[in-house]
Amino acid sequence: MGIGAYLALASVLFGIGAVGFLTRRNMLIQLMSIELMLNSANVLLLAFNRAYPGNHDGQVFAFFVIAVAAAEAAVGLAIVIAYYRVRKTIETDRATLLRY
Amino acid sequence: MITDRITSFLGVAPLLLLVAVGLSIMLIDAFSKDRSGLALTTAMSLFAAAAISGAIAVRGDLVAPAQITRYLAVDQLGLFFDVVICAGAGLSALLAGGYLKEHGLERGEFYVLLIFTAFGAMVLARAVDLLSIFLGLETMSLGAYALVAYRRTSARAVEGAVKYFLLGSFAAAILLFGSALLYGATGHTDLAGIRDAVGSGAADPVLTILALVMILVSLAFKVGAVPFHMWVPDSYEGAVTPVTTFMSVAVKAAAFAVLVRVLAGAFGDEVSMDLFTGWTPVIVILAVVTMAWGNLAALAQSSVKRMLAYSSVAHAGYVLVGLAATYELGPTAVSAVLYYVAAYTVSNVLAFGSLVLMGSKGKEAVSYEDLAGAGRRHPAAAAPFVVGVLSLLGMPPTAGFFGKYYVFSAAVQAGMTWLAVLGVLASAVGAYYYLKVIVYLFMREPAEDAPIAVPMRSYYVAAALLLSGYYVLRMGVTPGRYLDFAISAATTFLG
Amino acid sequence: MTGAGATLFVVTAIFAIIGALITVAARRPLRAAMGLLVHIVSLAGMFLTLNAHLLAALQLLVYAGAIVVLFVFVIMLIGPEAETGPIEGRLVSRSTAGALTLAVFLVVATSVGGFDAAWIAVDADFGTVEGLGLAIYRNALVPFELISITLLVAIIGAIAIARSPTE
Repeated sequence: MGIGAYLALASVLFGIGAVGFLTRRNMLIQLMSIELMLNSANVLLLAFNRAYPGNHDGQVFAFFVIAVAAAEAAVGLAIVIAYYRVRKTIETDRATLLRY
Repeated sequence: MITDRITSFLGVAPLLLLVAVGLSIMLIDAFSKDRSGLALTTAMSLFAAAAISGAIAVRGDLVAPAQITRYLAVDQLGLFFDVVICAGAGLSALLAGGYLKEHGLERGEFYVLLIFTAFGAMVLARAVDLLSIFLGLETMSLGAYALVAYRRTSARAVEGAVKYFLLGSFAAAILLFGSALLYGATGHTDLAGIRDAVGSGAADPVLTILALVMILVSLAFKVGAVPFHMWVPDSYEGAVTPVTTFMSVAVKAAAFAVLVRVLAGAFGDEVSMDLFTGWTPVIVILAVVTMAWGNLAALAQSSVKRMLAYSSVAHAGYVLVGLAATYELGPTAVSAVLYYVAAYTVSNVLAFGSLVLMGSKGKEAVSYEDLAGAGRRHPAAAAPFVVGVLSLLGMPPTAGFFGKYYVFSAAVQAGMTWLAVLGVLASAVGAYYYLKVIVYLFMREPAEDAPIAVPMRSYYVAAALLLSGYYVLRMGVTPGRYLDFAISAATTFLG
Repeated sequence: MTGAGATLFVVTAIFAIIGALITVAARRPLRAAMGLLVHIVSLAGMFLTLNAHLLAALQLLVYAGAIVVLFVFVIMLIGPEAETGPIEGRLVSRSTAGALTLAVFLVVATSVGGFDAAWIAVDADFGTVEGLGLAIYRNALVPFELISITLLVAIIGAIAIARSPTE
């Protein structure tokens, strides 16, 4: 078994995350699906870095991805809270105020 | 020598200046209740950063330590976008100074967010490594999400922010996965290394193509190209108008900068650009559907703000026309793209700024009806609106005319005459809704019981309109100087 | 990779997929957050098989320790309103999702063969606190400075948005 197994796993996880984002209409779960997608990219980065072990480029990248994921979750959850305060729901299907 | 140390950071001086100003404003805002000077300070700092970038570009002090240039380019292209982004952000700050005060929304964090979002945009425009692209994009996007949700008690603002955030983060995750695949295919995260690996055929072809598709999709999201534009009208309409202005100029310019760096830079070899096997046909298709759908959807709008949002989608299509011509023309096409982005920046500030000017406390001008007859009652306030929409339409002698001229002539020279013809036809469709603004301003009367819009009085908004109006006309009468800057940026980047 | 490493990979991969499936299919967001936690912890275990020791620790500290807790906190704040039906999307987005996933999976899966490279031996400090720490502070100093601005923007933005509406 080699790097390829990690590659296949990462694409499966990315797919699960993308399906979750596109099919669910609950903002919190959509946000968690995005976290799944970021995580799958981290698996890829680390696996590829294991294939090119001459430097730490992939691991350094993954390090920053973890930090950005935290920042994104903070802003995203703040927006969800603000939305809930105004509309008393967190379903994107009911976000229909802005249409022509 | 200590002076050598300092001057060796000259190439990133605009970035350092913005960080210093952003942090200072945070401190001042924490200790002072007086917010009257914040807008002016922010705008002046951004204009100073633009001026410094311009001066560095003219003098050619393109120096920075290797540690920096590995992640952030210090080149004419980066400086060109510094000027565009800082000018757009500074003008938006001036608009905000009038708008937020008039509508009772002024809080210190607005200007801090604006400065750091502009910083993120500049980082993105200079990024030459997949890692700095991702970080710049996230810094810019997180700031932009927060700015859209700034009026947090308004259902529309928050709804616009939710849609922008969810789709934007989804796009960022796609970009990240694509970047990871590209790293795997080539073994490099820097664009130069990727270029070598792709050009020499050392890269795994399947992974490279998949990575390029994913990166293209996510950047098409960020520039608002059809069919990835669904967030544009909603978040543009939900945000306060100065933020809409900022997003449509600075955020969009940075997204185009990274598109140029990735496509014409990392994937600039002949095979990757080929008209049949490369990325060029994808950009051509994106350009066609974006121009067509952006203009047609703008026709159907009853809100001027939403019409300008769709018009910004359409303008992304015109820029993509220039990008599509790169495979044949190289620097000439890229310089047309750069000139268009600069011309669009000043024209759009003028149009959105006029919309800000037309409203006052309790009555914001949003729809065509709100503008009815305002031109005859307040000709001085309507004049910038007329110049702005004429420039967006592409009438001489305005900046927009030369922008469209260079982009379409690049398409013709690249042998894509049909694409240029389509672009001109799309612009003709645009004439309908742009001229409708002028018709409502001067030839309609407001309905009997409708509230009459009264323009606000604000030196800030007036200054923003005068500045952008001056540059709209200046770039429309003597485009040479600005085109030269664009050409030198494009030539040094590709040559 | 053979023996213990391969076993660890298979086990963590199964748990990571189960956790991800719970996250996207759960009716209650709290259960989804628990699925995310399972997913994250199993990935941390998997990172060990890739010589990423520091990142395995960070994965637990930041993801499990901070992000999941933040999610749970917000779910508690919103209360029962956070609950919704399982798969509520319209047919269009559901089929788009299916097609997208299938496409990505197929293309990556076909290129797996080209990447099934043998495991190259790595230096002793590869992925350790010292090795990665040096790589971050020597080479990636600029991204490190940039991320401080990113986090600053996130903090200011989150406070500006989520502050109580009356202030």
